[in-house]
Amino acid sequence: MRERKSAKLNIQQQQQQHQNGHLSPFKLAKLLDPDASWDKDQLGDVLHWIRQGLALLCGLLWGAIPLVGGVWFLLFLVLSSGIIYAYYALVLKVDEEEFGGHWALLQEGVFASISLFLLAWILVYSLAHF
Amino acid sequence: MASALLSGSKYSDGLTVVGISLCTAVVCEAISWILIYRTASYKSLKSTIDKASKKLETMKTTDASPASSNLLKKSSKIKKMDRVESSLKESSRDLSIFKFKSGGVVALVLFMVFGLLNSLFEGKAVAKIPFVPIRLVQKMSHRGLTGDDMTDCSMAFLYLLCSISIRTNLQKFLGFSPPRGAAGAGLFPMPDPKSS
Repeated sequence: MRERKSAKLNIQQQQQQHQNGHLSPFKLAKLLDPDASWDKDQLGDVLHWIRQGLALLCGLLWGAIPLVGGVWFLLFLVLSSGIIYAYYALVLKVDEEEFGGHWALLQEGVFASISLFLLAWILVYSLAHF
Repeated sequence: MASALLSGSKYSDGLTVVGISLCTAVVCEAISWILIYRTASYKSLKSTIDKASKKLETMKTTDASPASSNLLKKSSKIKKMDRVESSLKESSRDLSIFKFKSGGVVALVLFMVFGLLNSLFEGKAVAKIPFVPIRLVQKMSHRGLTGDDMTDCSMAFLYLLCSISIRTNLQKFLGFSPPRGAAGAGLFPMPDPKSS
């Protein structure tokens, strides 16, 4: 009875931790582990945040250099999608069919990342070079 | 030194627009939390949608397996899947209606903030776009501005970019994004329109 209760408490604590979103060493290691199991929501969230990070980084960089012209916007799209694809296909080695196909994974957070990239690029370019 | 540099910049108004957008996003999410997300109805609908979509996914996965070859079993499984799918659609619809009713206050706040920004920056370029946007985008990016320089950025365009990027990510961070199983939570997830 006591063992069942403590096991139940453990599960509840893990669920609480998951809900609270606290990063633990275990979770960070999972990001690079090709043998880790993922559910759709978890993988979707990770891909979303990676896209946002790439958008912010590219926007700041493109604006600081500065890179000018529509071609750099297209380059960002290709680069960010390529990195996302490489991450889930080559690093995590997930079967995309289990998660709704390539399109479902590649479109996670794409619209927000495009907006964030443009915002960062425009702001840094305007403030640093005028 | 940095603040002197920024305030001396020709386009420091862009930072004002971003700052106001950020504050507006936080206020709107706070209002949404009070009116929508903390209510028992919302939690229960969200939980129903999550469970139904997970159940549907599991059923679709097991349905694809070659072991389910018995026709009678397959047709009863298909009927079950249809029932779960229609229950999911119904719950998604109820969630949309519920959020729509409570979203009017947030819509009013957004409308007032846009009006304020418009009065402050109408006719003024608040940033410089590092490329010439396509003609369709120019209608927004050059809105209310004089001259032929299409790289001048209007407040409306910058505000739009801020709204989409800041609010979507804030909702995601706080866990207020619509559940993946809900209808319309797919292709290009915008900031949850029913709470705006």
